[in-house]
Amino acid sequence: MIATAGSQRRWRRIFLVVGAIVAAYALLAPLSSLDAAQSAGIPLLTDKFWFRIATYVVMFVVLATAWNIIGGITGYAAFGNVAFFGIGAYTTGMLIAKAKWPFLVALPLAPVLAALFAALVGLPLLRLRGHYFAVASLGVGVAVGELVQNIDYNGQPVFGGASGLFLPIYAVGHRGLFFFYLMCGAAAVAIAVTWWVLRSRFGYGLIAIRENEDAAAVIGVNTTAYKVAAFALAAALTGLAGGIFSQWNVFINQDNTFPIEYNVQMILMALLGGTGTVFGPAAGAVLLQLLIQFLGGSLPISFDLPFVSSEARPIVAQVILGLLLVVVVIFVPRGVIDFFGGRTRLSLSYLRRSLRDTSL
Amino acid sequence: MNTAAQPQLELRGVTKRFGGVGAVDDVTFQVEKGEILGVIGPNGAGKTTLLNCISGVYRVDGGDIRWEGRSIAGLPPHRIARLGIGRTFQIVRPFGSMTVRENAAVGALFGSSAARRGLKEAFEVADQVLQLVGLKAKADHPVSALTIPDRKRLEVARAVATRPQLLLLDEVMAGLNNVEIDEALEMVRAVHATGVTVLLIEHVMRVIVGICRRAIVLDFGHVLAEGEPEVVLRDERVIKAYLGERYAKRLRGERGQDSAS
Repeated sequence: MIATAGSQRRWRRIFLVVGAIVAAYALLAPLSSLDAAQSAGIPLLTDKFWFRIATYVVMFVVLATAWNIIGGITGYAAFGNVAFFGIGAYTTGMLIAKAKWPFLVALPLAPVLAALFAALVGLPLLRLRGHYFAVASLGVGVAVGELVQNIDYNGQPVFGGASGLFLPIYAVGHRGLFFFYLMCGAAAVAIAVTWWVLRSRFGYGLIAIRENEDAAAVIGVNTTAYKVAAFALAAALTGLAGGIFSQWNVFINQDNTFPIEYNVQMILMALLGGTGTVFGPAAGAVLLQLLIQFLGGSLPISFDLPFVSSEARPIVAQVILGLLLVVVVIFVPRGVIDFFGGRTRLSLSYLRRSLRDTSL
Repeated sequence: MNTAAQPQLELRGVTKRFGGVGAVDDVTFQVEKGEILGVIGPNGAGKTTLLNCISGVYRVDGGDIRWEGRSIAGLPPHRIARLGIGRTFQIVRPFGSMTVRENAAVGALFGSSAARRGLKEAFEVADQVLQLVGLKAKADHPVSALTIPDRKRLEVARAVATRPQLLLLDEVMAGLNNVEIDEALEMVRAVHATGVTVLLIEHVMRVIVGICRRAIVLDFGHVLAEGEPEVVLRDERVIKAYLGERYAKRLRGERGQDSAS
């Protein structure tokens, strides 16, 4: 429903305030390098732990925004994007650890290799539609991780095997800050790319494919080329995040570069924020990653969940995430970004209408 | 070859089978530049299958399809669209998340490669096309707000926006009432007047008689008759195909009496 001009202004103001807080955090972060700030002990800025979480949050902004290009704009529910993250991480990791390349030279190859791989598997995979594509892409996501861990040559694991791969620590002052900003740069690139896509002929072609692939084809959209390009673009951005992660984390293995749960998380973030939009997946990533960290008990401000022992916390967190997915899909199908455009606002009638629209 | 006499589109023995059934079986006909050709036939005669073969949605199993003398059989749909053959779907397939104007603009963004445009010009073309089909007033509406007749108009608008030289219309008047059919006829005439050849699949006889100079009757995948609509519709084989053997006999009897009296 069209909201009144007053509430439109109010939501725009709230959106601006939230955006300003995020931007302020990113800008104020360097203060932590000042001795004065260190001795003052300003919370959230001088705490290394917070930098780690903030970097994770921004990393998921990249992953969710990248997924949105293939999953949200093109409408192909890719469940295996973590493969591109892992490929990006291992590309950069191998080049640094084995070939002794400098990090900033090795990093650009992460998106390139991830995109090439996506184009290669995308050609056969993107012929599948609906759940067939979803399941097949999930298979690829799992298989690549297993391959990376298990490929041996002359009895030696090629990619470090089960014991993983150690990278030399990148020599830079204020490492936490450096990688936080690097990840912010990747997120800015991902959002800018999405913004460009949605205003281009390419983007209109992708949306046409999402809305009706046969109709897109008969008006002259080369659907195969467009789908593969969207998949490769998503893979490149995901691979870039993986490449940064490998040097940031110093140690990579199958568990931290091919985690199955990332697949679900990046999709959930895009859904929560709003698929097919420029800022939706980013907003969803910030909200959900903070919630995941909170439920996992890693936030400094966490408190005990009632009736839940600390060992059961991760399981309860998964259950809550699952429930959230159901609620979001049913009640907020266009994502929370819907409330920030100033056109709609959260109300009982909104939820009722969504329920009516999403049920058969 | 005499290029002046060369048809715009030519089908030679086109065949499409599903399992053992020949949905389109050895169909041969030509479409002349600038005409409105009607294709009629009872349910399941293979009309839509034929259209899917021409537009590349289906790959033909036999025969050849020639566009301005060049074979286009086996080309993917987007290549055929770029050559200048546009089409609509019988069951409309709008891009649901876009506005009416955006739907038409996407047609103009892609479509015939001779008429490709940038974003700004594409929206200008969209406005012109919406004016032509009578959807200008609803340009900024979401597709979901459109009535069925308007959705059919939009389907035509998107195809026209691709700037085709030949437009294949698949039952754009099915399900419309008499007034709506008259309006749709006007729309087809308006599109044709811009210089587009039209191949029209229709169920509604009135439409065929009203705007086609030539019609082709399909039955069980074969061409049953071809010629002027009034003549074709009086053809006994056509009546038999539509209404059955007994009705055809009765009609023959009545006609016999008419001529005797």
